[in-house]
Amino acid sequence: MSEPKAAPELSASQPTSTRTGPGRLLVAIYGLFALAASSRAAVQIATKFHHAPVAYVLSAFAGVVYIIATVTLTAGSRTARRICVVSCSIEFIGVVAVGTWSVLDPASFPDATVWSDYGIGYGFVPLVLPVFGLLWLRYWARRDRSQPTIAPPAGDAGDSALPPSEIDRQERP
Amino acid sequence: MNGALPTTIIIAGLALAVYAVLLTAFNQRMGAILLGALGVLEILLLVLVGMIVARLAGGGHPADLPVLIGYLIGIPLIPVAAAFWGALERSRWGPAVAAVAGLVAAVLMVRLHQIWPVIHV
Repeated sequence: MSEPKAAPELSASQPTSTRTGPGRLLVAIYGLFALAASSRAAVQIATKFHHAPVAYVLSAFAGVVYIIATVTLTAGSRTARRICVVSCSIEFIGVVAVGTWSVLDPASFPDATVWSDYGIGYGFVPLVLPVFGLLWLRYWARRDRSQPTIAPPAGDAGDSALPPSEIDRQERP
Repeated sequence: MNGALPTTIIIAGLALAVYAVLLTAFNQRMGAILLGALGVLEILLLVLVGMIVARLAGGGHPADLPVLIGYLIGIPLIPVAAAFWGALERSRWGPAVAAVAGLVAAVLMVRLHQIWPVIHV
């Protein structure tokens, strides 16, 4: 029954990838929303598409955006993070746009989507999630810029890609 | 079907979430107590799913059967997924994942009631 002590310094203060540390929570929530939005859209489109076509297509779109965010945050490579910045931006614009649309023109939304009324049905999590996603990605972009030699994993020919002056600076105490 | 079990699940889920958030706040990792709590939540959810399936087999007619079946499949996965994903994390963010699972379990009881009102809360 012993509670483990807090993690060692390195993993506690310096997450090792976009899916660890705070990223662990982000991936969990994105995964949950990916599952919820896409399965909800799948059922709605399959069983009653004509009831609210706009809402269901938007639900499906939201589902795809959440899937992309979940996968790219889990992968965490430089390319994946770039894709994730784009999809989180689209997600944020989508929540604001669909939220505003659903408030101004409720007739187009006889059935709710994840993003209706700014995600009120989901405790406004859809509105804040992309903000935290983008903050997390910005943290990684900055970390890349401040410590460029940490990034290449072993066997990535990282040494030869480095100018001699850079190596010098790294090895100086 | 009385509301005792869904109400118990709501209370258990919220209590688990509060405990997990405290662990995160005090910089603790996933421990045996939290994993045990997720296990208890899992058992409660499985019993509930069993009761709902029995009700369906006994001739119940929810308005939206496909959605209900989706929930019955998805609900028992939540504590399991949170336990594995959270236990992989060696920092305070592991319990944070468990907190999400507790909250989601509580919220889904309300959703179940909306999908099929015979499931009281």
